[in-house]
Amino acid sequence: MTPPSKPSHEYGPLTPAMFHVLLALAGDDLHGYAILKEVDLRTNGKVRLSTGTLYGIIKRLLADGLVVERRARPAETQDDQRRRCYRLTSLGHQVAAAEAERMDEVLAVARARNLLKKTRTA
Amino acid sequence: MKPESTRASRLYRALLRLLPFDFRSDFGPEMETVFHEQNAEAKRSGPTGVLKLWWETISGIFRTAPREHLAMFAQDARFALRMMRKNPGFTMAAILTLALGIGANSAIFSVVNAVLLKPLPYRHGDRLIVIQQQAPRAGLLDQPFSVQEIEDYRHQNHSLDSLVEYHNMNFILLGRSEPERVETGVVSWNFFDVFGIQPLVGRTFRAGDEQPGAPAVLLLSYEYWIRSFGGDPTVVGKTFTMNDKIHTVVGVLPPMPQYPDENDVYMPTTACPFRSSPAMIEDRTSRMMRAFGRLKPEVGIRQAQADLSAVAANLQKAYPNIYTSNLDYSVKTIALRDELTQNARPTMLVLLAAAGFVLLIACANVANLNLARMVRRERELAVRAAMGAGRVRMFRQLFTESFLLALIGGGLGLLLSWGGLNLLVSFAARFTPRAREIHMDGAVLLFTLAVAVITSLLSGTAPAMAARESVANSLKEGGGHATLGCGSHRVRNLLIVVQVAVSFLLLIGAGLMLRSFIKLQHVDAGFQSENVLTMRIGLNFTKYNTRDRQRAFFEQLLEKIQAQQEVKNAAVTMVFPLNGSQPMTGDFMMEEQPMVPGHSLPLADLRVVSPDYFEALHIPILHGRAFTRGDRSGAQDVAIVNRSAVQHLWGGEDPVGKRISLDGGHAWVQIVGVVGDVKQYGLNRGAADEIYFALAQTPLASGDVVIKTVVEPMSVARKIIELLYEVDPNQPAARVQSLEQVRSDSVAASRLTANLIGLFALLALAIAATGIGGVMALVVSQRKHEIGVRMAIGAKPAEILRMVLGQGMALALVGAGVGLLGALVLMHLLQKFLFEVEPNDPLTFAGVALVLGTAAVVACYIPARRASRVDPMVALRAE
Repeated sequence: MTPPSKPSHEYGPLTPAMFHVLLALAGDDLHGYAILKEVDLRTNGKVRLSTGTLYGIIKRLLADGLVVERRARPAETQDDQRRRCYRLTSLGHQVAAAEAERMDEVLAVARARNLLKKTRTA
Repeated sequence: MKPESTRASRLYRALLRLLPFDFRSDFGPEMETVFHEQNAEAKRSGPTGVLKLWWETISGIFRTAPREHLAMFAQDARFALRMMRKNPGFTMAAILTLALGIGANSAIFSVVNAVLLKPLPYRHGDRLIVIQQQAPRAGLLDQPFSVQEIEDYRHQNHSLDSLVEYHNMNFILLGRSEPERVETGVVSWNFFDVFGIQPLVGRTFRAGDEQPGAPAVLLLSYEYWIRSFGGDPTVVGKTFTMNDKIHTVVGVLPPMPQYPDENDVYMPTTACPFRSSPAMIEDRTSRMMRAFGRLKPEVGIRQAQADLSAVAANLQKAYPNIYTSNLDYSVKTIALRDELTQNARPTMLVLLAAAGFVLLIACANVANLNLARMVRRERELAVRAAMGAGRVRMFRQLFTESFLLALIGGGLGLLLSWGGLNLLVSFAARFTPRAREIHMDGAVLLFTLAVAVITSLLSGTAPAMAARESVANSLKEGGGHATLGCGSHRVRNLLIVVQVAVSFLLLIGAGLMLRSFIKLQHVDAGFQSENVLTMRIGLNFTKYNTRDRQRAFFEQLLEKIQAQQEVKNAAVTMVFPLNGSQPMTGDFMMEEQPMVPGHSLPLADLRVVSPDYFEALHIPILHGRAFTRGDRSGAQDVAIVNRSAVQHLWGGEDPVGKRISLDGGHAWVQIVGVVGDVKQYGLNRGAADEIYFALAQTPLASGDVVIKTVVEPMSVARKIIELLYEVDPNQPAARVQSLEQVRSDSVAASRLTANLIGLFALLALAIAATGIGGVMALVVSQRKHEIGVRMAIGAKPAEILRMVLGQGMALALVGAGVGLLGALVLMHLLQKFLFEVEPNDPLTFAGVALVLGTAAVVACYIPARRASRVDPMVALRAE
């Protein structure tokens, strides 16, 4: 399916789960289980994706061209035929960045209103 | 451990089946792997971890599945819409066919829903009953109640919460700009409480309103309030004069089906001068009220029947001279709901069946259109299959297309039925007071949606099956020149047979109804309705309170009317034929037959007419004479009987010169003539035994004027009303109409039913005929090559024409044969709608066969002609 060509900011706001998947893939190419683990780890277990939710998101991200299946499989021993890896496309990067910026703007407002006690660093 | 071997994996795989096929085939195996890993990890953290994982997994799938199904539907729908735009001809034909089929069903369902399915709009409507007194041996099945009988049933029963009475009167209401004749319901004070009706404005009646001597009060019906007072709420508290008494309006009723009659106003029983007269209260046989009851909460209708029957038995014991043994007196309870809908039920069900048949034909036709289209889409489907679209996927796509067609058709059908709603309401009003409850509501929308879904299944299955076969063939033959297999030919032929058979059935039904209606219209009613004007004049009985005054009024009026040059004859009658009035039956004594104690007297319908009545209506004098001006008060009282009465009551002997008595032998009335029978109660009903009395000797307080004119009768109506005002400016006339109109109205229900079924049958015929034509056209285009070869080796165009025609007609013939068998089995269900026509009427069957045959020939001729003009060279070169 050809990725639709619309500006990256038009993909937002993403659902939190979708954003987390994009963030997870922003680090490295990952397969499904690794994405779940990564999200779980990054959020200290606050966001736990089920397989149904994850693959619903992956289907959408694939259709929108935000991620692609990585063609070459890594030669790991535990990798079987069923396992596919996903990689963020440059469009995916832009969309994730646009979403992060949007959130940053929101946070700036929250800070200005003294809703956030301290500035956290990622 | 392989994931597929564990129980958890099997369970997970089962869960995955909730997701759409495409999703599953894309991600299913991968999801299984991931779940396997998750599960292994969860196990390490103990049973809570496993439970938590399952909970998250199951809820995740349940959240994802509907979204994915919807997304898939949206995708399929977009594709389907694209396909529909590509084939505008097919799309239009299918949508229009389905719109007609579904619209017919929605329309009829809106009536069935409101009239037969919905609960009554009265609180505790399921506990309301109608109580009827019956004396079957005297032919009385719904005998009104007397005041004493009402009291007896009210106080002696143990099964009813309340028992209320009702009767209808015509009073003159003064106090508005013109005197107005108002239909008045006279009811027990708690009548509206029993029916659970809350007033819209003001209050309903209270017990105090029904006390003798209480100030007279009125309730207005909603319709009358809107019509005469423009919905003005300040009307409550206003006073009007009725029956020389001041009446105060205390409230307005809500819009609701008025039962038993449509009334303008309601009053409590004590306000009605007739009902509250001592003569009425004291005479157990002065009957004019209807009785209704509300069952106690735990009591069923059978218990109530047994309970009231016991009361009836008590009455028979207590008054053996009134409820004589030869009458077979009894009481009957009927659920109000049944009473309100029993006239409508058979007609509505027949119409629903007819509409269902139309939809069946529409489905068969669209299925055929779809099949024909499959031929052209074979390559597309093959490509899709080759690209990996599974069987389920293709089915789903085709069903989505069928569903969209049905949905759009259903929407259009809903619009069609909404457009025809007013017509339907006025149609249903001929059968039931519940007609006003007919609306396009949520239930109708839901029904339409359900019909659309069923329709898409019915019309989508055959094409989807054919597609499977065709794809298999196409792939086998390498995507070359494949045609739909012979299996789908059989399906197409079968669908045509179904269409023809069902059309045949509907046409037979319509034909029988139509024949019945025509017979009904041409029935000899015993009178002539042409050029007769009728109007109802109910005298203000406080002003015309003596027989002399009543007599003088009508004599003066008739004299004035008679003097008009447009008028041939004018007469007054208690009631003219077919006006829907209840029989007024009375018993009488024959001079030559002594009374037998414990046996009832002979019964006949009693009428009062002025001398020119028989002439005005062309009722023949068979023997003796008509009434004359000489039959006055003081002269010998005279009567005229009809032919039926002579047959039944005098055993065919000439009764002229014999005497009868209505008052137990005090006064004797001499029979002076015999007249022909008149169909008084309906063209489809037999004549009653009738005895006519002379108006001058038996004056009326209320009568119908019938005027035979030499011009169009309605054109003199205004003039006659002015003559009436000359006699008495405060005297209104009601129901001014021509007798022709009355006669036509009396068969309106049959006419409308026949028209509706006829409309459905024509729809069916049109759909089936285009269906045959379409299929034959397809056959011709598919067999072009073969036809070319035939012609190249010497077949003549006429032979080709015959061949194609023959094929089409063979299908039509098989269909007609099946329809014929169906009709022979099913048509007896229509028996009760038929009048002087047998359900297997050969003329109707022959006529329908002719119509259907002609339609089939015309439908097949067009493609057959095209086939006969195939140029063999072109056809062969095209290969």
